[in-house]
Amino acid sequence: MAEKAIEAKKKGQKSSEDYTYVGMVFHRLTRHKLAMVGAFMLIFILLFVFVGPLIWRADPNAQIEGLGGLFNPASRAHPLGTDDYGRDVLARMFFGGRISLFIGFISAISSTLAGAFVGLVAGYYGGWADNILMRFTDAMLSIPTFPLLIALASVLGKGVWQIILVIVLFGWMTDARLVRGLVLSLKEQEYVEAARAIGASANRIMWRHLFPNTLAVLIVSTTIGIGGAIIYEASISFLGFGVQAPFASWGNMLQNAQQFIWNSPRLIIYPGLAIFMTVLGFNFFGDGLRDAIDPKLKL
Amino acid sequence: MDNREVLVDIKNLRTFFYTEDGVVPAVDGIDLTIHRGEVVGLVGESGCGKSVTALSIMRLIPVPPGKIIEGEIFFHEEDLLKKNEEEMRAIRGDKISMIFQEPMTSLNPVYTIGDQISEAITLHQKIDSAEAKKRTVEMIHLVGIPEPERRFGQYPHEMSGGMRQRVMIAMALSSNPELLISDEATTALDVTIQAQILDLMRGLQKKLGMAILIITHNLAVVAEMAETIAIAYAGKIVENASAKEIFKSPRHPYTYGLLTSIPKFTEKKTNEPLPAIEGMVPSPYHMPKGCRFNPRCPFVTEKCREEEPEIVELTPGHLVRCFHPIES
Amino acid sequence: MRDYIIRRVLGMIPLILIVMIVSFGIFSLVPNPFAALIENPRIKKADIQRLIKAWGFDLPWYLRFFKWFSGVIRGDWGPSLLYPGSTARDVISRALPVTVRLMGIEFLVSIAIALPIGIISAVKQYSVTDYVVTVISFLGMSMPTFWFGLLMMMLFSVVLKRPSGMPLLPAGGIITPGLEEAPFWAKLGDRAQYLVMPVVVLAFSSLGGYARYMRSSMLEVIRQDYIRTARAKGVPERSVIYKHALRNAMIPIVTLIALSVPGIVGGAAITETIFNIPGMGSLIIQAETKADYPTAMIGLMLSSVLVIAFNLVADIVYAWVDPRIKYS
Repeated sequence: MAEKAIEAKKKGQKSSEDYTYVGMVFHRLTRHKLAMVGAFMLIFILLFVFVGPLIWRADPNAQIEGLGGLFNPASRAHPLGTDDYGRDVLARMFFGGRISLFIGFISAISSTLAGAFVGLVAGYYGGWADNILMRFTDAMLSIPTFPLLIALASVLGKGVWQIILVIVLFGWMTDARLVRGLVLSLKEQEYVEAARAIGASANRIMWRHLFPNTLAVLIVSTTIGIGGAIIYEASISFLGFGVQAPFASWGNMLQNAQQFIWNSPRLIIYPGLAIFMTVLGFNFFGDGLRDAIDPKLKL
Repeated sequence: MDNREVLVDIKNLRTFFYTEDGVVPAVDGIDLTIHRGEVVGLVGESGCGKSVTALSIMRLIPVPPGKIIEGEIFFHEEDLLKKNEEEMRAIRGDKISMIFQEPMTSLNPVYTIGDQISEAITLHQKIDSAEAKKRTVEMIHLVGIPEPERRFGQYPHEMSGGMRQRVMIAMALSSNPELLISDEATTALDVTIQAQILDLMRGLQKKLGMAILIITHNLAVVAEMAETIAIAYAGKIVENASAKEIFKSPRHPYTYGLLTSIPKFTEKKTNEPLPAIEGMVPSPYHMPKGCRFNPRCPFVTEKCREEEPEIVELTPGHLVRCFHPIES
Repeated sequence: MRDYIIRRVLGMIPLILIVMIVSFGIFSLVPNPFAALIENPRIKKADIQRLIKAWGFDLPWYLRFFKWFSGVIRGDWGPSLLYPGSTARDVISRALPVTVRLMGIEFLVSIAIALPIGIISAVKQYSVTDYVVTVISFLGMSMPTFWFGLLMMMLFSVVLKRPSGMPLLPAGGIITPGLEEAPFWAKLGDRAQYLVMPVVVLAFSSLGGYARYMRSSMLEVIRQDYIRTARAKGVPERSVIYKHALRNAMIPIVTLIALSVPGIVGGAAITETIFNIPGMGSLIIQAETKADYPTAMIGLMLSSVLVIAFNLVADIVYAWVDPRIKYS
């Protein structure tokens, strides 16, 4: 039996030594079942949200006149029915999705970058800069995010950019800690000493040498962060802040639907399901990405 | 010829690992015999399969990804590979014990060393805990740790590497095993401590009479301790003879290479570079065809590239796996 | 150790200060906190003036902060604007036990399920069980709690009905009106039905995280050298897992639990809102949306102080549980 296995090897299957770094990561990623499930889910959602409106052209804000147009069940004219204003639910799902995804994406990337910046500076310089920055980070981390999000949202007003700002303001801390820890250990490695020995400036060392090595971790963190950001957006919109009518976001669609739980439960199911699947997709994919990038950590 | 009873007889052992990247033939046909009370050295570079051999004897190979696919390991006429888990557990720590390379991580950090040694005792001997504690203190004393009663209640992190390794030895010998397997037990220690531990092991061997299988990549260690030495390369044994024979007249080119690459302080100083064996150990995924040593062998011939040599007894007690062994 | 605690407590002070400043600062951003009150015809102008003075809104912001700060330290948490006539303190002390009850039960349920499945999942890595547990964990972690809550409400209150025509499980509240003075057991049974859905919703979300954490901690420990040593000693597999491995794997879990305790008080704002549970979470949200800033600030501050305090508790527990840690 073993002979057969060895024979198969000789026929030219590649082993770990034959790939480039990115190639290796990709290879491992594609073999990770959950990650691929996540990837498919995400591709589906992205297609839904971006290509959908090209196929099914309906105005998400157009209201049907008359009571007869409200709460319609699925029909040929409206595949997902209509809502309490007679608007086409499917169209609202498309555009709501775009906004939710946009917010999620931008918030996650921004908070990762902001956190990475703080972490890099704190980790590299150490000393009192590190001390102050980390104290501040710890204090911010102590404040329960959610009430604070609402607080800020209520203070800053309602709208898309406010949400993004709020999410970034309270999301940078995890990445800061992550990056700082990484930098502390990378700092001791020889190539940093070498760079310093040839006279590289602190800035250069930080951005050109340390930062690229944190990228892998940051990419994973961003991917998973998008899921979290989408949930935050949905929660904030759910409570009435965030994206305002008449614009749709999956979050505010859910909020709207809440009162109609008794007579039109469909309105609750669709946006919630979309949020759920999107976040699940990002989580599956992000987890698989983490395993692919560093299989030694694979657990 | 050895008159002592055969304790362990490994016949044609093959232990493979099935990984995502391919199959690793870690142990690919190893034969080895250990007699009662004999000290056998198993020498080779990292990756040659020596640790895997030891773990195979103990049946501690993680399955998956590993698997012992062929062979027999006779312990007192019984094939260990045919025993079930219950039976193996009774043997481990009792009849055959093993100590490992990293004393810093080989002891459980949350239990005292006294508890850990006592556990080894109560697992295999029907004595109560008070009696076990007494025996434990004796063992701690036996391995040369001062103030044994105080040490009983200490945690591993309160001890140095050398002391932890002594604790490991105490644990391993607590039930008077017939075979002690030492897997690179001194590699992670610094040289002076290494010497101490080896002395300790030698003394205990004389006193308790157990057989020892010393696994190492360091020829100096086996020179001191072993009666018989087996040289491993790429999953196979390439030479097996008494220690004296190996050092006096190595027959396999690999053994020869190993010996000549050791700097000798007694010879006249020359300006010549230290001879080294060219090339590198083959990747387990890409084993060379024919004799596994052929890419690096200075005496390679066409035959070596095509066929794998079998083990041959050149002189009584001296086994070599080579088509053209070096003249003695 | 004592010195360490003292130092840590001292270190907590700047943290708490920062938290108070941030809490205060956010609400200072509101242009006119009394706007809602002024519009409320039932509140007299004179009272509003009194409030403005009492709260120091006639003073510049830095003095205002000190005024608030000294009030808070003394226990004067200000009036409640949501429930005029009560102080913020009263309102909070009414809401707190409700949340603690809900979250406490949820926490216990979550841990009771998550830890065992995490352990089993690690021990049987890559098996079907492991796979299922992993998927469930992800589902829990990705599910928006309010959606799940709404779905449950749909199922158990709208669709499923009791023979009497009433919903199978009540859609909101914490107790059936009229039963407030009922005997303990009757009250218990009644309360239970209100708690079922919120507890299930919350527990489902959080158990995913705990299970994965337990699993990864367990897996990390099982790979350690000392586990191999335990097996080599002949320790039965059951003991290897539950005695040797678990004791080590629990160390980070215990600290995780200590760090999660503050969440019990913070409450799950949205779930409380959906299920109409008058706890801390929904109180803070209401306070924020209805501009009861005094209450909101206190609520925020309380939760934060708890987090900071439990960070210290977590470190102390960690030192207690892991013999390697010694704070000097």
